[in-house]
Amino acid sequence: MTRFPPGYTGGMLQLDRITRAYELGGERAGVFGISLEVPKGCLAVLAGPSGSGKTTLLQLAGLLDAPDEGEVRLDGKAVSALPEKARCDLRLRRLGFVFQAYNLVPVLSALENVMLPLQLQGVTEGDARQRAEAALARVGLADRRHHRPGQLSGGQQQRAAIARALAPEPLLVLADEPTASLDHAHGGPLMDLMAELAQERGVTFLVASHDPSVIARAHRVFRLLDGRLVGEERS
Amino acid sequence: MILARLALRNLLRQRRRTALTLMVVVAGFLALSLAGGFMAQTFQGLSDAAIRGGLGHLQVLPPGALEGDEAQSLEKAIPDGEALAARLRLDPAVAEVLPRIQFMGLLSSGAKSVAFLGTAVESTLEPKHMASAEALQGGALAPGGAGSRWLSTDPAAREVILGTGLARALGATVGSSLTLMSTTKDGALNAVDVEVVGLQDLGLRELNDRFLTVSLATASQLLDAGPARSRLSIVLKRPQDTAREQARLQTLLPGTTVKPWFELASFYRQVKLLYFAIFGFMGLVLFLVVLLATANTLLMSVMERVREFGVLRAMGLQPGQLLVLLQWEGAFLGFMGSALGLAATLLLRAGLNALHLVMPAPPGTSHGYELNIHFVPVVYLIVAFGLQVTIQVSALFPGIKAARLRIVEALRHV
Repeated sequence: MTRFPPGYTGGMLQLDRITRAYELGGERAGVFGISLEVPKGCLAVLAGPSGSGKTTLLQLAGLLDAPDEGEVRLDGKAVSALPEKARCDLRLRRLGFVFQAYNLVPVLSALENVMLPLQLQGVTEGDARQRAEAALARVGLADRRHHRPGQLSGGQQQRAAIARALAPEPLLVLADEPTASLDHAHGGPLMDLMAELAQERGVTFLVASHDPSVIARAHRVFRLLDGRLVGEERS
Repeated sequence: MILARLALRNLLRQRRRTALTLMVVVAGFLALSLAGGFMAQTFQGLSDAAIRGGLGHLQVLPPGALEGDEAQSLEKAIPDGEALAARLRLDPAVAEVLPRIQFMGLLSSGAKSVAFLGTAVESTLEPKHMASAEALQGGALAPGGAGSRWLSTDPAAREVILGTGLARALGATVGSSLTLMSTTKDGALNAVDVEVVGLQDLGLRELNDRFLTVSLATASQLLDAGPARSRLSIVLKRPQDTAREQARLQTLLPGTTVKPWFELASFYRQVKLLYFAIFGFMGLVLFLVVLLATANTLLMSVMERVREFGVLRAMGLQPGQLLVLLQWEGAFLGFMGSALGLAATLLLRAGLNALHLVMPAPPGTSHGYELNIHFVPVVYLIVAFGLQVTIQVSALFPGIKAARLRIVEALRHV
């Protein structure tokens, strides 16, 4: 297990002895004393069976939850103890999220969904539209940009979700089981897209998945079991 | 503006639910606005009745006239009321001054005597500015039947117009001869024979049973009044300046009390207070209904969008921005509801007024009146503002609930 010396600031994402425990069905669950580092431009996967703590760790890395113990560092800066307003701001400007169920806003078109985080940042509508159109074009959805989520297939929705995560040009994109709702024919290309984007734009991806096709495409794999890091593989 | 757009889209997402909530808001707007228009009609009618019933816009009274009762006629009077009236007629704000004597006494038919309350008026000027003569112009439809007329302008004529109840009590009709008895201002008993020239329905039963009107000449002879007058009714050129003119004239006439009509019209004030109480309570209930309906709609909307809120929060939306989002939804509900409510109000108002419905006689009065719901923009503005505030308040609780959602739990929500 990685142990970071005090003052060490390497890697885009560092989790340093992270613990987050909660009760689930009367039993203690969560993640316990996990340290790991994801370098810039890396497609890293948190792998493990259900209940191993992948989503919990992803939420801690994405500042959606705060650890009981330990430290989250983003681009060298300690961020887990920041006040909620600052954490919101970091999520808005530095992080992107892709969810298993796509979670696009149903009343907005694909284009508007991608524009949403940009507009929340205060980017003007014209600029947001331009950047969102570019992001959608990059994921191959230019011709479907005016469709609402309900009019898109699962694969198209997930690609729109990736465009939404990437449009604000985040440092880190966190993806929770992004292929779980897709068949093999769509899951593979989606992961190829993520790997290309990591390579091409230097965006760091941290993906929680137990899908072998996802793990096969990862640059780095962190294996979790019962809330503990049990292995790390590099390709 | 992205939050506003999102809010509008969310409302349109659940069209049926939004439509039902809008119907509640529209119904609230409609009820309160129509009630406001009806109140305005009533207040207008009552103020007209008070002003044209003899009060005028302002009244000049002798000091202490409103304190205690007079033991005898003209005990409290403006000593040289006629001269003061002439002086006031020269004031550029004054359209006319109508001197009046209020007196009391007994009216006798020979066989029977009844106590009365009398008002003496200037028989030439009074019909030009007051409504008292209008009720006598109905020919056969007038309370006294055909032949009922206003007082003669001949100063030598000794005529009286009786309240219908007073006439009934004495068995008098138009053309009857009666005797007016009262005390002069010096306390001596005096009497004048008069002819009944008209019967008056004053709207209030108690007044009809006691009230009579004579000319100032007749009252002057009966009371030996000279130039003394009980009060002067002032008709202003600009009625909307009543309050300002009251203050100005009061400073010009230091030995008198100048009162605006609305301080003297006790019936008007009582009805106004009653209406405010009734419609205020109705408004409170309607605002409460709107509050609960919109709170319910927005709360249901929040419960259906828990995961969506989790995603928005994950994307970096501040908790306060979720509160703002729900406030926008409330704002649109209120705005759309008020706009539709205004359209419905104008349509229904036009429809109801076109029906020329006759309302039943109000308590204490003897005739009904035609419904004419007034167009009162200020009422519409107040109702719209009240509804908007109510809806914004109702959006607070769902908004706070949304803002307090824990992101990780919201994302797990199914």
